[in-house]
Amino acid sequence: MVVYNTVLMYWFEWIALGALLICLSGLAYHMIRLIRLGVQDDYSARAGSPVAGVFYSFTGGMDPRHKESAYLNLPTYVSGVIFHIAVFVTIVLFFLFLTGVNPGQSASLILSVVAFSGAVTGAGMLIKRLRDPKLRYLSNADDFISLLLVIVFLILAGLTLLIPAAYPVFMLASSLLLLYMPLGKLRHAVYFFAARIHLGRFYGWRNVWPPRKV
Amino acid sequence: MEKVTKDKIKAGLEVFRQLHDSKLLTHLNSCVHCGLCADSCLYYLTMKDERMIPANKVDVVASVYRRYHTLAGRLAPRLVNARELDDATVEEMVDLLFGACTMCGRCVRHCSIGVDIEYVVRMGRKILSDMGYVPASLQATVNAALETGNNMAIPDEEFLDTIEWMEEELQDELEDPQAEIPVNQPGKNVLYTLNPREPKFFPLSISAMAKVFYAAGESWSLSTTMYDVTNYAYFSGNEEHGATIGQRIHEEMEKMQAGKLVLAECGHGYRANRWEAPNYVKKAFPETVSSVELMAAYLREGKITPDKSLTEEVVTLHDPCNLVRGGGIWHEQRYILNRCVQHFEEMSPHGLDNFCCGGGGGQLAMGEYNDRRLKIAEIKAEQIRKTVAKIVATPCHNCVDQLSQINVDFKLNVQIKTIAEIVADSLVIEPKSQK
Repeated sequence: MVVYNTVLMYWFEWIALGALLICLSGLAYHMIRLIRLGVQDDYSARAGSPVAGVFYSFTGGMDPRHKESAYLNLPTYVSGVIFHIAVFVTIVLFFLFLTGVNPGQSASLILSVVAFSGAVTGAGMLIKRLRDPKLRYLSNADDFISLLLVIVFLILAGLTLLIPAAYPVFMLASSLLLLYMPLGKLRHAVYFFAARIHLGRFYGWRNVWPPRKV
Repeated sequence: MEKVTKDKIKAGLEVFRQLHDSKLLTHLNSCVHCGLCADSCLYYLTMKDERMIPANKVDVVASVYRRYHTLAGRLAPRLVNARELDDATVEEMVDLLFGACTMCGRCVRHCSIGVDIEYVVRMGRKILSDMGYVPASLQATVNAALETGNNMAIPDEEFLDTIEWMEEELQDELEDPQAEIPVNQPGKNVLYTLNPREPKFFPLSISAMAKVFYAAGESWSLSTTMYDVTNYAYFSGNEEHGATIGQRIHEEMEKMQAGKLVLAECGHGYRANRWEAPNYVKKAFPETVSSVELMAAYLREGKITPDKSLTEEVVTLHDPCNLVRGGGIWHEQRYILNRCVQHFEEMSPHGLDNFCCGGGGGQLAMGEYNDRRLKIAEIKAEQIRKTVAKIVATPCHNCVDQLSQINVDFKLNVQIKTIAEIVADSLVIEPKSQK
């Protein structure tokens, strides 16, 4: 394994750290702007609970059994879930690497499987985006760049866990991903939560969510 | 189409500059182009045209936002598909946002992220409205309401004649010469509104509701000054017009010193008056309920007693999108039907997942898109056919219009009724004079 050193960091680690700071600043900019703008004052007489609506929005409202986007497209939905789990795990891994924490041999093996699974599902999503006429129509360069950056990030994370020599390349790829994140569609990392809060609040206010049984 | 000018662009872009909260910003930045919303959109499902995927409708608005308000959009517009607000963009916006969306909100519920697509479409329509690109037919409907007080420009004399005629019908049916349809009577508990389609095309629904009021012993009145429940400015995207129309109805309520405003069966009318108008004028409104809620309350409180056996046919229910997904009312109409008819059969899907009839979003007012409106109706026709129902009930007069056309075009051979008509048909009433 590579010897991680938090005091004497390698040049590529400094680059990654710089990219991380830029990324966090960029995402913070988006988040602060949303918080400063706040939520809509609703002058209509409230019929339900916005809090319950927001809670439902993140729970039952995302239940794949009730969402056509999920149950009509199960392979895509499952791919998406695996992909995002792998991304979150790999982000944690990035921080572990940067802070010099070694996950250990057996954990590394499991984590590499997770990262590679994410990369495979990501590749599947990329192929689908290229082949499916609907997705091809909707896609722009940003969609492909974002997906490619994440796939490379996942592959290199998996490789680094197995072949430590890949570590510098992983850090450089991570830096690129982090720098791009606040600019393109990857910023949905922030806006996803805001969207579900707005939706839950909207439906909760009108007593649409959570749905009541007839 | 009139050429886009600098002034028009400036007016359109104001929507992005004058953000009052984070809602628009959020939904413009959230879509990941997964395309899964396509399966929830009746336009895409029936036409298989990629342009009509809800995500693309969001993107046409978001692309303009990106061009003028994001770093990537300013520096590398092609990278993120950031578009100028030019002739081509405006033409596409009009076609997609007005001509290919009923604002039913079905895609919103199923969006994998939670993008309020319908809201973005409405904001896109607002941009077009501020630029002067609302389809002429839809704008004419709004103008009629602004200028005459009702969207069909029905003169007072004609309206009063119809009411008088319906009052006579009611008296004959109830065998009570005292039965009335009160007009301009202040101090009543209920100020009742109508969809102008009622006095114009479906007057029997007025006498049906009057019969329900009669049976419940309600104190109510119509107003000739302002009886129109609709607010087509909600569809045109012009919030100033929306505020003017919304404010009028409540001013009339104050003038009439009514206890509460009861909105006739109209999906968007309910949404516009109950939920949107207070936000247009930025003040709380007095108690406003749907007639569906009121009829359900009459039944629960025992004020009216239906006889199920009077309706033997299978009845199915079409849920108006703005009443259900946009308004939170879907139990009441089911409760009413279960109390008033022998055989109630749900469509599949129904309730929150129900498909729009195709007449929403102002489509019925926009003759330009009639072919599309009838094409997307295939889904509703198939839903109705599968229920084997003989009566389709719906608490919305716009839906009644669209369903009536579907009935003919798709040879469904069903009757289309409002909930008030179903309730009225189920009532056995002794004339008050004999009580």
